[in-house]
Amino acid sequence: MIKKLIVKQNSVLWIIAVGIIIVPFILPNRYFQDIAVMTFLWAGLATSWNLYSGYCNRLSIGHAAFMGIGAYTSTLLYLNFGISPWIGMLAGGALSALTALLIGGITLRLKGTFFVLSTIAFGEILKVMTITSTEVTSGALGLMIPFQPGFANMIWTGKIPYAILAWIYMLVALFISVKLEKSKLGYSLIALGENQEAAENLGVNSTKTMMTAFILSAVLTSFGGTIFSQYIMFIEPTSVMGLSTSINFILLAIAGGLGTAFGPMVGSFILTPVSNLLRGYLAGISGLHGFILGMILIIILLYRPDGILPQLKLLSKRILQKLDKPKKGE
Amino acid sequence: MEQILQVFISGILSGGIYALASVGLALIFGVVGLVNFAHGEYLMLAMYIAYWIFNIVGLDPYQSLLINLVVMAAIGYITFKVIMERVLDSDHSIQMLLTLALSMVLQNLALMFFKADYRNIRIDMTNDIMNIGFITLNTPRVLAFIIAIGASVLLYLFLQKTFTGAAMRAISQNGKAAQLMGINIKSIYCLAFVIGTTLVGLAGLLISPIYPAFPTVGASFSTLAFIVVVLGGLSSVPGAIIGGLFIGVIESFAGYFAGPAYQQAAYFLLFILVLIFKPNGLFGRS
Repeated sequence: MIKKLIVKQNSVLWIIAVGIIIVPFILPNRYFQDIAVMTFLWAGLATSWNLYSGYCNRLSIGHAAFMGIGAYTSTLLYLNFGISPWIGMLAGGALSALTALLIGGITLRLKGTFFVLSTIAFGEILKVMTITSTEVTSGALGLMIPFQPGFANMIWTGKIPYAILAWIYMLVALFISVKLEKSKLGYSLIALGENQEAAENLGVNSTKTMMTAFILSAVLTSFGGTIFSQYIMFIEPTSVMGLSTSINFILLAIAGGLGTAFGPMVGSFILTPVSNLLRGYLAGISGLHGFILGMILIIILLYRPDGILPQLKLLSKRILQKLDKPKKGE
Repeated sequence: MEQILQVFISGILSGGIYALASVGLALIFGVVGLVNFAHGEYLMLAMYIAYWIFNIVGLDPYQSLLINLVVMAAIGYITFKVIMERVLDSDHSIQMLLTLALSMVLQNLALMFFKADYRNIRIDMTNDIMNIGFITLNTPRVLAFIIAIGASVLLYLFLQKTFTGAAMRAISQNGKAAQLMGINIKSIYCLAFVIGTTLVGLAGLLISPIYPAFPTVGASFSTLAFIVVVLGGLSSVPGAIIGGLFIGVIESFAGYFAGPAYQQAAYFLLFILVLIFKPNGLFGRS
């Protein structure tokens, strides 16, 4: 039994991922429920980011651009044409896929450092374009979504429906990650991340592999953007496309474990509540919250660059083995 | 025509500062192999140092130049010893993330201690104007340009003419071989990092009389410096100098013809174009 548990650590993580939905129902008030929504949403976003950047170890630091595309597409369609955000979400996903195809065609073949820099440039160009097209996007002022509750509008009065939506989003991203890990695409991607030349020599089609993962990651990130905009009901370029948003994806993923299916989720489960509570309690001193998050990231990178999840797995393995031993003696 | 020339000269003047802000990044990348996303934060720190010295002691940025550079060198040294030295052999992704985290920490420290206010240094010279023919120039900008280009050229000469400079070039070409030749690679890394942060600090000091200091002022310079360095061929110091001037001119013309909002978009677009067609940089050897 216990030996099976060691092998099937993923099923434990699945149980946690599915069971966590109880939490927002028990939480006492809207403040804590809001933290739960954000935790699930960021877990989904970080998992989506990880799909490309984590597995093949190529950091896309402009990835929030796809979140922005999702948020702006659904919001603009809803505000101007009354199109339901559910359809807007799909439209945003399609647009993100197209953008990823175009941008990826240019940047994916670039070597490590150049690729990272090109993603920043791409993110910044999109942000500048959004800020300057004031007639459409109202620029840096941002867009407000009027409060008209209803399932078709993806707007609800309480926090619970949002929590369920964000949770489903997270589970979808997780499911795709786990599937990817066991697919040929996933193996190729990880091989490319470890040694591109060697992988190519063994017959991995690097362009196709990276492109597929990049598009998948972009579309999922874009879905998260739509959910984010419908939840916050206000979007502006820096909050949905800014560098700090991209850094947050990375922070959560690396804290949990880069290139593991459940790592970003674990990272978000720990860091998003901490971050939100800090922001709440330390609101008096602006900057302290960001300072602490930055320090956490530095400490993780210096001492545990593998992230928390591998550590937890190791720890649980040891505990389980210790529990196992006395039985053998009997 | 006169206006075009004015726009051009103005671009060249900004370009000098961009060059100075970028040569350090190119040096750190070339020698240490670090992609330093916190580079612009040192510029921000130097601007605040200049601001506080001016406000508390009353020395203007030019008078406090030496103190400022010494402090910047010390900050660079501490950063290298406490953080960077530990990750020299780590994966590139880890190094990049670490410098990103460092930039986040430094920005938020500045926000905590100095608030988000824009802090200007108003010295007598701030609004001084020089007339050369029909071209009007702002004196602090001219001074900044001259010192910036001077310092960049000095760095170039240091790399070409001194033994330590030659060691740096050797490491940037082949670190292992250089080590086998008896070069103390760690101390050279440290020196390159300190020179890099000090030079970008000098750039911050030079713009402090004309540009306000605020916690995120470094971020825009970081991205800009990266673009300049990529244009110049990533690890090349002369490439970064030319790249800086080039970006200054591009930015100036984009601002003149398309409007200030498009200045950034213009050089990002140029950056993407270079990555597509000449990934070794406009002036880099293939």
